[in-house]
Amino acid sequence: MDIFLQQIINAISLGGIYALLALGLAVVFSIVSLINFAHGELMTVAGYGMFFAIAVSLPFPFALAAAVIFACAAALLTERFAFRPMRKADMTGLLLTSFAVSAILRVLFQNGISARSKAVPLPAELSGAIDLGFFHIGIVPLLSIVTTALSLWALTLFLRRTTLGKAMRAAAEDFQVLRLMGIKANRVIAVAFAVSGVLAGVAAVLWIAQRGSVDPLMGFVPVLKAFVAAVIGGLGSLSGAVAGGFALGILEVLFQAFLPEAALPFRDAFVLGFVILILIWRPDGLIPAPVSRRS
Amino acid sequence: MTARVNAMSLWTVVPARAWTSAALLIAAVGALALIISLAFGNTGINIATLALLQIAAVLSLATFSGNSGIVSFGHSAFLGIGAYVAGVLTMSKGVQATALPHLPQWLQGHELSLPFVLVVVAIVGLAVGYLTGIPLSRLSTGSAAIGTLAFLIIIHVVLIGARDFTRGSQTFYGVPRLTTVYVAFAAAAVFILVARILRETPLGLRLRAARENEVAAAATGVNVREARHAGWAVSIMLAVIVGALYGGFLGAFSPKDFYFDLTFTLVSMLIVGGMLTVTGAVAGTILLAGIVQILRQAETGIDLGAFTVPGIFGLPQLGMGLALLLTIWRRPLGLVGLIEIGPGWPQQSLAAVPAATAPSSSAAALEVKSVTMRFGGLVALDDISFSVPAGQVTGLIGPNGAGKTTLINIICGQAKPSAGAILIDGRDMTGERPDQVAVAGLGRTFQNIRLFDRMTALENVAVAALAKGHSAAVARSLGMIWLEQLGLAARAGDFAGSFAYGDRRRLEIARALALEPRFLLLDEPAAGMNPAETDELIRTLEKLRNEHEIGLLVVEHDMRLIMRLSDRMVVLNKGQKIAEGTPREIRDNPKVIEAYIGSKRTQH
Repeated sequence: MDIFLQQIINAISLGGIYALLALGLAVVFSIVSLINFAHGELMTVAGYGMFFAIAVSLPFPFALAAAVIFACAAALLTERFAFRPMRKADMTGLLLTSFAVSAILRVLFQNGISARSKAVPLPAELSGAIDLGFFHIGIVPLLSIVTTALSLWALTLFLRRTTLGKAMRAAAEDFQVLRLMGIKANRVIAVAFAVSGVLAGVAAVLWIAQRGSVDPLMGFVPVLKAFVAAVIGGLGSLSGAVAGGFALGILEVLFQAFLPEAALPFRDAFVLGFVILILIWRPDGLIPAPVSRRS
Repeated sequence: MTARVNAMSLWTVVPARAWTSAALLIAAVGALALIISLAFGNTGINIATLALLQIAAVLSLATFSGNSGIVSFGHSAFLGIGAYVAGVLTMSKGVQATALPHLPQWLQGHELSLPFVLVVVAIVGLAVGYLTGIPLSRLSTGSAAIGTLAFLIIIHVVLIGARDFTRGSQTFYGVPRLTTVYVAFAAAAVFILVARILRETPLGLRLRAARENEVAAAATGVNVREARHAGWAVSIMLAVIVGALYGGFLGAFSPKDFYFDLTFTLVSMLIVGGMLTVTGAVAGTILLAGIVQILRQAETGIDLGAFTVPGIFGLPQLGMGLALLLTIWRRPLGLVGLIEIGPGWPQQSLAAVPAATAPSSSAAALEVKSVTMRFGGLVALDDISFSVPAGQVTGLIGPNGAGKTTLINIICGQAKPSAGAILIDGRDMTGERPDQVAVAGLGRTFQNIRLFDRMTALENVAVAALAKGHSAAVARSLGMIWLEQLGLAARAGDFAGSFAYGDRRRLEIARALALEPRFLLLDEPAAGMNPAETDELIRTLEKLRNEHEIGLLVVEHDMRLIMRLSDRMVVLNKGQKIAEGTPREIRDNPKVIEAYIGSKRTQH
């Protein structure tokens, strides 16, 4: 029972990080049809923001804020200087643009900062666990779950209550109509990138809380997973991204826990094989994005 | 007749210019490799060998991605499969014993020579391509690119996990260096030829048609899923073969050599040159291989005597990234764009065309039988029945929201009715795929013209002729005949995308006719035409009906056109058939006036 609960906590906290990242990908994709591979580099930027803030001995909460602000700024900069000029490109063109941006940023990190990983010292309180009597729960997974829940709640409020948020939801359904209503396209797109940056920043903090260091390639693996999660959920569908993120987290933890020892090195192959099965079953994902169809 | 077609060699199946174009590319690549080898000695030979292998690798990718339009991120992993399989099979027994002590008995000590290992690897490649193609071809275009990415990661994980065969993430060493510069050149030459010829084969034409417009391709009789499956399998076989040669060039490698970095390199090369043509793939590879070589020299820093420029780690990646950005920004189709190197468009001699088959039974008709369509609680079509007799024009009209589009989608196999059936010459087509309906005898045009824009007019029409089982050569000849009939023969070699509006309509009709359909569905053929163009269209359609015994189903808003053209008319309103009869009867029918013409009058 103890182990089972433990695994559920792990699955939810891991899935939460994937969900935040997938959501960031989905927010941008739903509006400009860009699968942003450079999303991982936003995480890395956030990590360096945290690292530098701690290095100049700012208090820990400021380091967290720095992470989010750095990622948000990086998202806006890449939008302005890389993706905006390419807006006429098709989906593949945009995807490849983000590939290139990601490669270029990585080279810049390696040369400008360091190719090696930098330790991010975390407050000692984070490493403990809470004893609930019948089982232990790590503080990091717990905070991770709480943060994810708060972020999702805040984003929902933003999308439902504010004018900009409503404009973004409208833009995801039909961008042309939005333009006809006199809302500035550039502004909506910039906000979408800013939101994705914030989400990447939050995810980066949670990711670093688990591993305690940052390196130029840090964002690569989690964003690859997030990308898979976004696809499982249905590319461009926000609720799909969240569902996909949790589904992937749960799948990974389940396979990790229940695969026989000999098959463990192949865990990711099993997970992705399963993902392909899901896609064959539902080619547009679990919760497909709304598409206005007209012959 | 069939014997004749079968006996025709590949030479005539593929247009002569494709052969010339391939020969020119091979000569250019050979000359370049020779110059580099001579100029830089041993280093030059190494550089040339690598570049030649990269050309072959990019062409294996282009075979699928260029023709299907789906960028594959997975090919580098399949190269890895080739490298490891060939490595195990060519390795000397002694090295094998130390490097791979746990290798199963049946794989030990083969020490195959190059030709044998290439045959084995090709078979393995085809099998792997076929199997991975099963899920891949079922995915929608967007998901398919992601599927390839999943393959990249899956294969990478498997290569690392299968330690007994691959030494895991450790270096796999002791592979005999069988890939000399001559072998690499031969590979590049063969791959150029295969890639260039494949474009012109029925498979290449079908893949490209589906790339340009999936819906139109299906309506032209292309089984998109099957074409993609075949294209993928061939492409993966080529990738696995290159992988074997690449492994034989490196001598030692590990799984990370076949992961994202290689994918990034191959995809960049393809995109920068232009993925739509073989010329583009080759040019892009040569260009980027050159840039990477130069940047690699600079990576360690440049000594300028007085001071040294510090080295920048990852400079080649930086260069490729910038080249990729610049290409997408300035030349989205790549440097080469749509042009294949080679002679222009000389008319080749046309293959003999089989006599048209006589129309079958006189009772032939396209029948709509009690078709009902519900979307949730909404009844979009309520028990609609009518028939389109062969040799006659049936007009289908109705105000907006009458259900015309839904009915068309059902007739063409794009949607399945909730109840009822569609019969072509008595054969039940309900629930068949659009391409099956097309082959069974229903051609169609689209309200918003859907052509294969980046294919020539002739290729557009030839795709349809292929669907009837003609060979590529005969399909081209038939295509010319149809283009002539619609007055487009002079522009056979031009891209469909460059045609003016009226010509696009006619080209779409020519393509539909090349299916040799029993019935032709025209969805608002006069939309956007001026009166002169409409008159011309009416003459064309009347000629068609008289000469070909085709049943026409015309959906149209232009009353003048439909009244003049139709033998019988069917009127839909709010999902119900409210009238059927001759144009005169329809004009005088009070129900129709009320639903359709009447409402229009009150507006004025």
